[in-house]
Amino acid sequence: MQVWTKLFAKSPFKPLIKHAEVVLETVETLERALEAWDKGEYEAMREYARKVDDLEDFADKIKEEIRDSLSSKLFMPVNRGDILRYLQMQDKIADAAENTAKWLLVRDPNDTPEDLKEEVRSLIMKMSQESIKAAKLVYEAIVQMDRVIESGFGEEEIKREYEIIKGIESVEHKIDELDTKFMEIIFKNSSRLEWGLGMYLLNIAKTLSNISDRAKDAAERIRLMMNK
Amino acid sequence: MIELLSDPWLFITIAVGLFMAWAIGANDAANSMSTAVGAGAITPKQAVIIAGVLEFTGAYLFGKSVTETVRKGIIDASQISDPNVIVYGSIAALLAASLWLLFASKFGLPVSTTHSIIGGIVGYGIAYAGTSIVNWGKMAQVVASWILSPIFGAIVAFVVIKLVSKTILQQKDPIESAKKWAPVWIGLAFVVIGSMFYIKVMHGKSIFIAVSRYGLAAGIGAFLVSFALLRRNFKATDPYWGAEAIFRKVQVLTSAYVALSHGANDVANAVGPVAAVYAVATMGLAGMKVPVPRWILAMGGLGIAIGVATYGYKVMETVGKKITELTNTRGFSIDFSAATVVLIASWLGLPISTTHTVVGAVIGVGLARGVKAINKDIVKDIVISWFVTVPVAAIIAGVVFKILMIVG
Repeated sequence: MQVWTKLFAKSPFKPLIKHAEVVLETVETLERALEAWDKGEYEAMREYARKVDDLEDFADKIKEEIRDSLSSKLFMPVNRGDILRYLQMQDKIADAAENTAKWLLVRDPNDTPEDLKEEVRSLIMKMSQESIKAAKLVYEAIVQMDRVIESGFGEEEIKREYEIIKGIESVEHKIDELDTKFMEIIFKNSSRLEWGLGMYLLNIAKTLSNISDRAKDAAERIRLMMNK
Repeated sequence: MIELLSDPWLFITIAVGLFMAWAIGANDAANSMSTAVGAGAITPKQAVIIAGVLEFTGAYLFGKSVTETVRKGIIDASQISDPNVIVYGSIAALLAASLWLLFASKFGLPVSTTHSIIGGIVGYGIAYAGTSIVNWGKMAQVVASWILSPIFGAIVAFVVIKLVSKTILQQKDPIESAKKWAPVWIGLAFVVIGSMFYIKVMHGKSIFIAVSRYGLAAGIGAFLVSFALLRRNFKATDPYWGAEAIFRKVQVLTSAYVALSHGANDVANAVGPVAAVYAVATMGLAGMKVPVPRWILAMGGLGIAIGVATYGYKVMETVGKKITELTNTRGFSIDFSAATVVLIASWLGLPISTTHTVVGAVIGVGLARGVKAINKDIVKDIVISWFVTVPVAAIIAGVVFKILMIVG
């Protein structure tokens, strides 16, 4: 009797974790691209940036598969809509990383004024490190969500999940501050920056800060999953 | 016995009875073992061996030695004056029930074997004497069990999984709590199993004796043994794995019990009608209750065991490979809840189907957010199959009966 095999449907959580893994890898690859950028190794930077693009594609494919398998015929411990919106947010983290990579490919920043170079670069690198942190925490959050369900929504596990979510929120806050600071620097020096360079730098910062924004949105969805 | 087989109708009945027993084994084997196989407590091969041996043992040693000619008094046997009607009717009912079971197995629907045979009997009863022969009060009970069994199963399983996770999985230190609480749950499960053993396997009537003599003894024994074992040799690092490992062992025992009691009870569905025809052939009368010779029980048990071995094996293999969403604590909760519901129901005198209760229990665990994903469509199919079991078996039996009356 095959009913037992059909009665229990495949849970979407393992694929969600897989997707989070790929998203994390995308962000990590972006960091490598930025490190290369920082060191002025533009050839390596381009290679990493292209890899970011490939990984984002891969994440997209997993996303589509999960979406197709998550039909309304499933009866799950968490709201299907919350899972789908969570997935969308998680995927947008990879999209944001790809956007940064795109800007990296547009031009080489060798013409940043010498006195600004150090500040600009250190800020961008900080933002990139924080973005990785955000992506890592999102990965941890979905792994922990699996555990929350595994424990039958145990209070201890929920508490741990809230801590991870708080971590994501604080990272997002930190990146926001860095982003504001970055904008101030650029605008303060706008008279001596070529418009293209200003736009280029601002967009790198903006897209980087988007990574943590999307991570925060994803965390928000996980919060909703827990209070059904 | 040899000369009996020369009676062509008895011979045919035995053959159809064997077919029915085989279909019961094929359909129900995975029922009793699936949670254990699905949760990885035993391999499909082990499940088939355990189920085969215990189903046979249950049927042969503990099958009822007296059975009603028409199961559960669903039709009024006193209205049947012609012994031939019992013969043709029994064959028709068996054939209809086994065909339906076969169909259900093919499509993976867990239907009740008892309801199938009831449908067959009602079918030939109506074909013979019209609707007045049916005991509609009893029939209403059967219908009620379609609805009550899964609801009770779901409610109890919901509570049980909540309590199991509250006491074990959700504690700060699941391993420590498992060491403390697992023996309690195992003890409770064995109170139910011990009591059920008296009622289902030994066919005792008094729930009081069942609980006081068998249930408590088994429960306390199980508590002490598991408590001692857990203190002595239990090492685990991951809290969930640790707790699960304990329940994995218990699940082997609970499913073994299910197989034993299934054999003891459900063999009657196959051999009851055969015994009725046997009574007609040897004594020439169609009484309300007839004795069942041991060899007929053995035949029924063998049929079930063969069903498990031939068809059940394939099923268990798929189950073992495909269910990954069922953990041991969840499987235990389902088994424990189903057994408890059936016990309480027999105490209250409510008609309950084990098959339906188990499915209800799975849903209950799902409602308690214990299962990650359940396929709603399949649930719908299963419920529909429950509602059509009696009518379909009745129609097939009615048609077969009419044909037999003409050619016979």
